[in-house]
Amino acid sequence: MTVVIGFEGSANKIGIGIIRDGEVLSNPRRTYITPPGQGFLPSDTARHHRAVILTVLKEALEQAGLKPADIDCVAYTKGPGMGAPLVTVALVARTVSQLWGKPLLGVNHCIGHIEMGRLITKANNPTVLYVSGGNTQVIAYSERRYRIFGETIDIAVGNCLDRFARVIKISNDPSPGYNIEQMAKKGSQYVELPYTVKGMDVSFSGILSYIEDAAHKMLSSGQCTSEDLCFSLQETLFSMLVEITERAMAHCGSQEVLIVGGVGCNKYAEAFKFCIDNGAMIAQAGWEMFRSGQVTELEDSWITQR
Amino acid sequence: GTPRGQGRATQLSSPFPVCSLDVPFPSSREATIALRSLSPDKEPRKGGISKLITVSGSTLSVRWSADEARILRVSVNSFLDHLSLVMETMEMFGPPVAV
Repeated sequence: MTVVIGFEGSANKIGIGIIRDGEVLSNPRRTYITPPGQGFLPSDTARHHRAVILTVLKEALEQAGLKPADIDCVAYTKGPGMGAPLVTVALVARTVSQLWGKPLLGVNHCIGHIEMGRLITKANNPTVLYVSGGNTQVIAYSERRYRIFGETIDIAVGNCLDRFARVIKISNDPSPGYNIEQMAKKGSQYVELPYTVKGMDVSFSGILSYIEDAAHKMLSSGQCTSEDLCFSLQETLFSMLVEITERAMAHCGSQEVLIVGGVGCNKYAEAFKFCIDNGAMIAQAGWEMFRSGQVTELEDSWITQR
Repeated sequence: GTPRGQGRATQLSSPFPVCSLDVPFPSSREATIALRSLSPDKEPRKGGISKLITVSGSTLSVRWSADEARILRVSVNSFLDHLSLVMETMEMFGPPVAV
């Protein structure tokens, strides 16, 4: 029996989860939500995480009904992500690892999403579509490594959605993407947007500038509603992602798609609560690492933004 | 035992701003835990600042030198935030287990 505690805080969510051999015992989380029209900045985000992290840690232990002595190893997000929040979380992980005398495991955030996705769906060898505010990649496992088959050449699809949400000033609670999705359901007019698939890869910054411009022009002249733009943006973005995912599936001969990352909470995904950044996904990836005999020495436990 | 933040900090006015901080801990073990939590991450800023963290007995010592006072202040403030988080963690989840 192996019990792993995982710490995640690379963006605006701070989560600490405990997993025992594939069973999630607890997974509390807090989200730093900014006012409409504003994104989240690293120092403010780090301040948010710092204020709540020890409370969330206590919750994780209490909800799992465990004491520190019951934990076998401490996993945390080494990167990628925002520097200041990553450091805040790493500091606590390193400290409890030493206080409790347990090995430390620096986990790659993206692999955390993938391992959790595999755990929940029990997918065998899926093509993974990893879509979030910070990442957009199509990934497949080949010869003992996760390999990127296609990706964004500029911004992540979630970043495109989040920034569009700021332009039309919709609420960030619970998340901008969720609110875009609700508004899209009420859209009726399809507004043509650039479609920018480039071979195996995609590009979103052109669509973002186009739709920001369109929002200013078309909304003020009443040509379309915000709902129409939300609908059109979603349709365009998701069609592009489907295209590059299908292309990768054809290359790998894979029959299954696993969608991970916060954008996966959209209608195309099922187990939404594990799509959003959470501690248990880091614990699960840590469990896999620990089982294969890997640990992270404290001197090597520095965080990395990339 | 819990560490108390009674460090002594000095900022000398010299051509190259420097700062030193000495933080007492209840034991050498706890000072070392703090050291190993606080030292792995590189300074976010690539140049103009250097920081050295050491432990002697049960005291954690930090020595900075920077090209400008402004750069020094940012690094020291950031370190103090990090130090207080480590100390709070040790207070809430310590003492360290027997080795």
